[in-house]
Amino acid sequence: MAAPRLCAAMAAAFALAGCASITPDRGLEAASQLAHERTGVDARLLRGEDELRALDAHIDALLREPLGMDAAVRIALLRHPGLQATYWELGIAQSDLVQASRLPNPSLGFSRLHNAHYTEIERSLSFDLAGLLTLPLRQRMEARRYEQAKLTAAAAMERHALETRRAWVEAVAARQAVAYARQVAEAHEAAAELTGRMAQAGNASQLDLARERAAYAEAGADVLRAQRAADGARETLTRQLGLWGKQAGYTLPERLPDLPAAPAEPEQIERLALERRFDVRAAREQAAATAADLGLTRSTRFVNVLELGVANKSETGEPRAKGYEVGLELPLFDWGGARVAKAEAVYMQALNRVAETAITARSEAREHYLGYRASYDIAQRYRDEIIPQRKKIADETLLRYNGMLASTFELLADAREQVGAVNGYLDALKDFWLAHAALEGALGGRVGHAPAHTNKEHQQ
Amino acid sequence: MSNRRSFLTGAGVSMLGATLVSRAGAAGLPEAPVQSSSATAPPLAPPNGRPYNPVVTLNGWSLPWRMKDGVKEFHLVAEPVVRELAPGMKANLWGYNGQSPGPTIEVVEGDRVRIFVTNKLPEHTSIHWHGQILPSGMDGVTGLNQPGIAPGKTFVYEFVARHAGTFMYHPHADEMNQMAMGMMGFWVTHPKDPRKHAVDRDYVLLLSSYDIEPGSYTPRTNTMLDFNLWTFNSRVFPGIDPMVARLNEKVRIRVGNLTMTNHPIHIHGHRFEVAGTDGGWVPPSARWPEVTTDVAVGQMRAIEFVADNPGDWAFHCHKSHHTMNAMGHEVPNLIGVDHRGVAQKINKLVPGYMVMGDKGGSMGDMEMELPANTLPMMTGRGPFGNLEMGGMFTVFKVRADQKRGDYRDPGWYRNPPGTVASEWTGELPAPHSAPDAAPGKAPKGEAMNARKPGSHRH
Repeated sequence: MAAPRLCAAMAAAFALAGCASITPDRGLEAASQLAHERTGVDARLLRGEDELRALDAHIDALLREPLGMDAAVRIALLRHPGLQATYWELGIAQSDLVQASRLPNPSLGFSRLHNAHYTEIERSLSFDLAGLLTLPLRQRMEARRYEQAKLTAAAAMERHALETRRAWVEAVAARQAVAYARQVAEAHEAAAELTGRMAQAGNASQLDLARERAAYAEAGADVLRAQRAADGARETLTRQLGLWGKQAGYTLPERLPDLPAAPAEPEQIERLALERRFDVRAAREQAAATAADLGLTRSTRFVNVLELGVANKSETGEPRAKGYEVGLELPLFDWGGARVAKAEAVYMQALNRVAETAITARSEAREHYLGYRASYDIAQRYRDEIIPQRKKIADETLLRYNGMLASTFELLADAREQVGAVNGYLDALKDFWLAHAALEGALGGRVGHAPAHTNKEHQQ
Repeated sequence: MSNRRSFLTGAGVSMLGATLVSRAGAAGLPEAPVQSSSATAPPLAPPNGRPYNPVVTLNGWSLPWRMKDGVKEFHLVAEPVVRELAPGMKANLWGYNGQSPGPTIEVVEGDRVRIFVTNKLPEHTSIHWHGQILPSGMDGVTGLNQPGIAPGKTFVYEFVARHAGTFMYHPHADEMNQMAMGMMGFWVTHPKDPRKHAVDRDYVLLLSSYDIEPGSYTPRTNTMLDFNLWTFNSRVFPGIDPMVARLNEKVRIRVGNLTMTNHPIHIHGHRFEVAGTDGGWVPPSARWPEVTTDVAVGQMRAIEFVADNPGDWAFHCHKSHHTMNAMGHEVPNLIGVDHRGVAQKINKLVPGYMVMGDKGGSMGDMEMELPANTLPMMTGRGPFGNLEMGGMFTVFKVRADQKRGDYRDPGWYRNPPGTVASEWTGELPAPHSAPDAAPGKAPKGEAMNARKPGSHRH
């Protein structure tokens, strides 16, 4: 009598369960797509030697050229083991979802009692009816958790991409700083050498010579210091890329990308941040998931255990008896109030987390945008005013040298000051690209121009 | 040349003192002629008044006057001017009637002179008539003899030019700035009898110095000694006209010094006598023969000689830095310094760098680009190449065929055959040089060993 209905319910449950299954990519593709527009890279799970070899071949090809910013991001997202660990976390979430979609296993009961006179055998097969009835609800919940995991993974990729860009900018800038420290040292070297020749000819004193040589030696120490900083910055980038061995011998470009002709001027940056940032989206998903949790808890507050089963009893000397049994937890002591209160608290917590995340996102969007603009203005001041004026000073100093109004030493001192100004521009340019990366992080997406790989000669 | 400007302003006239208006105001002020060229103007023959032999102001001019009731009336306008120091360099100076120095004032001994001075400077000024014997109230020291002439006002000076001689005029108000800005002019009082002290050519020039940063236009008036432009009448070589004479003409050159150092003025090819100072004429028995006379600060010297030696002769201040234009005084000496290797290193850092000075300061015919509005340190093209001169330098040219009264440049002297130094083409002995004087090597073994104090074990 009850069997056909029971069968129908079970069939429906199986149908539902069929929706979720373990995918070969463990759900990474969806996350990777989310991150793609911000990183330009499709992340992959690395399983087995063959995939690793194929990836290394790809990376080797990328490393044949000096490593650009985008290529660095690409390698970091594909290769970094920490990130791979994050990708596998997505697999865990997917497994949980699939698990949640499966029907609860039926329980089989069997008991045999006998004495000298008779034997009694009871057989029962029962299902967790409550579990079955709440299955769709739980499944939706896990689906939400899975979505959230995807967002988390995408956010991790984005964060890693951002960190990689920063590390790349630092490494290239540090390398350039070494080049300019060398130029300063060369100017000191020339001055010291010229003074040495002058002392040899009797035109300069040992005091002058010692001063010039001391300045040259100090400039040499500055080169070493710059080299040390460059080595550190490069290793940070190498870690970020997840490279080692031969691949860690990559080369970097000689210069940072040029300052864009105009700064990006995205409109409604706060709205952009709220729409696009993964952390905001993840917080929203979290709140929605806890809301679903809350719904489940409410609907099961009284009945936590509802079991339905068929029972079959054979007794010696008696005809076999069939029937069904229902197990029900009596909510005498626990009316489920505590559980509901907890779920409500968790929900409220999640809601406030969303609010906090949104406020932070808005503020960060503003802060980083202002920082970005200020960095642009500073770098632009260097590019359009300070460097040209320094160049003008150099030209005018040379004219004064031509007129025997200034000496070689003034030319060299001016050359050093020029190098200082170029270094200032480099610092400003570095700050700009760092601010650019930070703004992209704060807005959750690419901002305006991508850094060009080709750039003009920096005016020396 | 001179153009006339009627610049009568109501303010100028109304400010004349009451006693002065009664004498000069009714008829108005004489015109104030303006000179726009820095070329040497021909001598100004006196159109009226007592006759005299006019002077020639090198790269300057003499101020025309008006005779009024037997009084010579001049009108000087103190004003900012742009003076060409030499082709290619102009300076923002202060001067009189369009030029610095101002026009030469020529009068005759015993002349009554009335000079109107209009101030178009941004600050008050005055004029001191250097060397004149005159009433105390006309001596032009602000505060002491008169109030300053305020901007826009006109004052009048009146006195009798009592003694013949060589004089000058300059402000005695904020004089440090005003003289450093070029305010000065020559004054010649001719003798009553034009035959007395008569010469065929009478040149006048004032020495002044300026510190104009290359690339700029206005002198730094706070400079006390480290000037970079040394001028004859606010001109520097190659911007100074030559002085010319016909062979055997009697020539006088009058020099006044308004710089802050002395200048040994030297002529080539002739001997001269110092015939006059700002105190008057030196009796012939007291005159010294010289080829160089030191003109101290604030002094005037008149030298006289017969131009009896044909040719092109240098005339200059004998301080060698004073025959240079702007130069860097902090530039180290690179003579004898080996630049091999270093030059390339420097050139890498400073594109366009060329080694200079390792063989001395003579750049030959190297033409290097200079800052705006400055002149090469030493320059000037002569018949045998670069003169390598600047500053207080010009050429005195004596020619047999120069016409009397002709002041035009006759060109370079044509030396008679066999009278120009030339390369020796005969046999050469083995060259000798001092043992330790090889270039690129510091002298050895001559270092002084200082003894430490405290040790008395001699």
